[in-house]
Amino acid sequence: MTDMTIDPLKQMEKDSARTYNQGLTPLNPPHKSLIRLNNGIIAVILVIAAMIAESFIRGELPLAIGAITGPMAVFAVIIFTVLPGRIYRRWGYDMGDEQLRILRGYLWRTDTIVPFNRIQHIDVAQGPMQRMFGLSTLIVHTAGTHNSIVALPGLAPQDAESMRDTIKDHIRQDMI
Amino acid sequence: MTDGLPETTVHPVTQSDVDSDPAASRLSSHDTGFRHLHPLSIILKSAAAIGQNLIAIVILYFSVFDRNIVYTGLVALALSTFIITVMTLFWWRFTYQVGRREIRIKSGLLRRNSRSIPYDRIQDVSLEQKLVSRLLGLATVKLETGASVGEDGKLDALLLADASALRDRLHDYKSRITADADATDGATGLPEKQERKPLFAMDNRRIFIASLFNFSFILLAIMAAVVQNLDFLLPEEIFSLKYWASEFDEQIIINALSMSARFIWAIGALFMLVAVGLLGGIIRTFIREYGFRLDRVDTGRPGFRRRRGLFTLTDMVMPIHRVQAAIIKTGPIRSHFGWHHLQFQSLASDGSGERDHSVAPCANMKEIDAILAETDIASLSDELEFHHVHSALWWRDTLLWTAVILSISVGHGLLLHSAAFALIILAIPVVIVKYLNWCHHQYALTETHLFVRRGWWRRKLTILPLHKVQTVDIAQSPLDHPLDLSSLTIGIAGGSTVAPLQIKDIPVSLASSLREKLI
Repeated sequence: MTDMTIDPLKQMEKDSARTYNQGLTPLNPPHKSLIRLNNGIIAVILVIAAMIAESFIRGELPLAIGAITGPMAVFAVIIFTVLPGRIYRRWGYDMGDEQLRILRGYLWRTDTIVPFNRIQHIDVAQGPMQRMFGLSTLIVHTAGTHNSIVALPGLAPQDAESMRDTIKDHIRQDMI
Repeated sequence: MTDGLPETTVHPVTQSDVDSDPAASRLSSHDTGFRHLHPLSIILKSAAAIGQNLIAIVILYFSVFDRNIVYTGLVALALSTFIITVMTLFWWRFTYQVGRREIRIKSGLLRRNSRSIPYDRIQDVSLEQKLVSRLLGLATVKLETGASVGEDGKLDALLLADASALRDRLHDYKSRITADADATDGATGLPEKQERKPLFAMDNRRIFIASLFNFSFILLAIMAAVVQNLDFLLPEEIFSLKYWASEFDEQIIINALSMSARFIWAIGALFMLVAVGLLGGIIRTFIREYGFRLDRVDTGRPGFRRRRGLFTLTDMVMPIHRVQAAIIKTGPIRSHFGWHHLQFQSLASDGSGERDHSVAPCANMKEIDAILAETDIASLSDELEFHHVHSALWWRDTLLWTAVILSISVGHGLLLHSAAFALIILAIPVVIVKYLNWCHHQYALTETHLFVRRGWWRRKLTILPLHKVQTVDIAQSPLDHPLDLSSLTIGIAGGSTVAPLQIKDIPVSLASSLREKLI
């Protein structure tokens, strides 16, 4: 992740006027492609569903061709082209000395802080699609009921594992 | 399908973690790395899964296959083979490792998961033996940490000897750290004569007062259930109108249908409903709270001991160090008479698995103060300065709701009947309730505690010691962006997922500075 100085996205993150994730560490760039792939699948499903719904409704009511599929196709194009970049650049994490901070969300934004000594156990997980892009998810479990599972996707596997080991050292016998 | 995939976690630490401790030798004598569960567990789990699908097969036998035993047998065979194959694959991919300070569990066919559970975080180890596993000499180890969603660690199943060795190892580790730990269980067997004055107890009069605020329609539900299940005892005609029509005099029916009689009927029905609700509340409260008594126990770790119940007596010990927060509930009428309900938010795994940690169902503030004084949770004081949240909490919702109601009433008024315009009246109670709820949403922060008030009808005051904060979230919805507002959500151990502790609609900058103080 150090040799990405030419990456325009990285440049953009450095530009203070356009810092979307408040200068935190961005996720591994392949994660953007993963979001795009996921959104693409959703987009295809949505368009197909719209076409089916339209053909059903057109049997019952007089409706212009594309009255449902058209807007849905526009929406599908948006979530495939525009959204992945925006979602990706809002993601950010920061491994502090005592706490993990995770920033996420484009429209619904969330900013979570988990103190290391509150963490109960740690998972490193990898789904089949993540494996294609060489990514891992770090999942920390706290004792809290709300938000007891905080997941940080889109990390390089070795980063996720080194983060896990850092956090593990902070878990001590201070009981909840 | 799963071969050749890169292992998610190849770990350099593992070798040094194991075996350096002599106590681990019993467990990791065969291999130093990851171990599988006992192979017999495949059969156990497959049998359970096949058993669950037996009903489906029986249904198929009678429906699709038209009682053709050959087809059904083939399908059953295919299903069993499939289940056993999957279970074998799961078994093959499920490995665990008992380290010096942690247990590692790797699992998952496609989605590989590698979990590490530090011993320090394990609250409770339990062995479970169902009948079949007892016959096979196996045992399931359940590891309970504080995390209350999902299971934390389950080894299903090991040889009983291995399982108890694992438990002993964990216990040894625990007792080395806290020599005087796990004495809480012994507290239940306290000699009765030594008992001091209870911290809080309720006599029948107090239980009756409590029950008045415990309006419950459970009786109605029970009656409905009884009618549904025992309807073969009732005469068949009871649900037919003609039967009733013949039972009543014609004149009564005509009267009943007249306007004033209907009104009286409605009032009567409402009255009955209230009476049934009250009665249900009284019965339920007495069954649950009868003989309520709260003591402080000091053997082992200090805790609260609560006994209550009419038919099933429950006896529960809550260690004080596990109390996360105090919740004081009340309502507009209840608080007028000075009654409050004190609950503790505690970890879900306490005692007999009872989730309700109510310690004073109906108490005045003085009694509550006395209970809180035993914990490290501060009570309400006069110098506390409560802050309101941003007024957008009520006017924004009000605007949205009014717009919805307005469009509905205008739409129906124009299209259906002009009387539908009157639907707009519905907006008035909405506005009032939203406003009152905003008035009662307040927070106060001291050096050590956070106080949050919510709700006008169901008033809830949460008192949270700052060192019990687990996570803090700042969330912004799209509606929050123009006003630069945000909601602060605080994760506490135990309690409900649906209604977490939240301070709603405060400016983002304020939320960030609050968070600085909370963590």
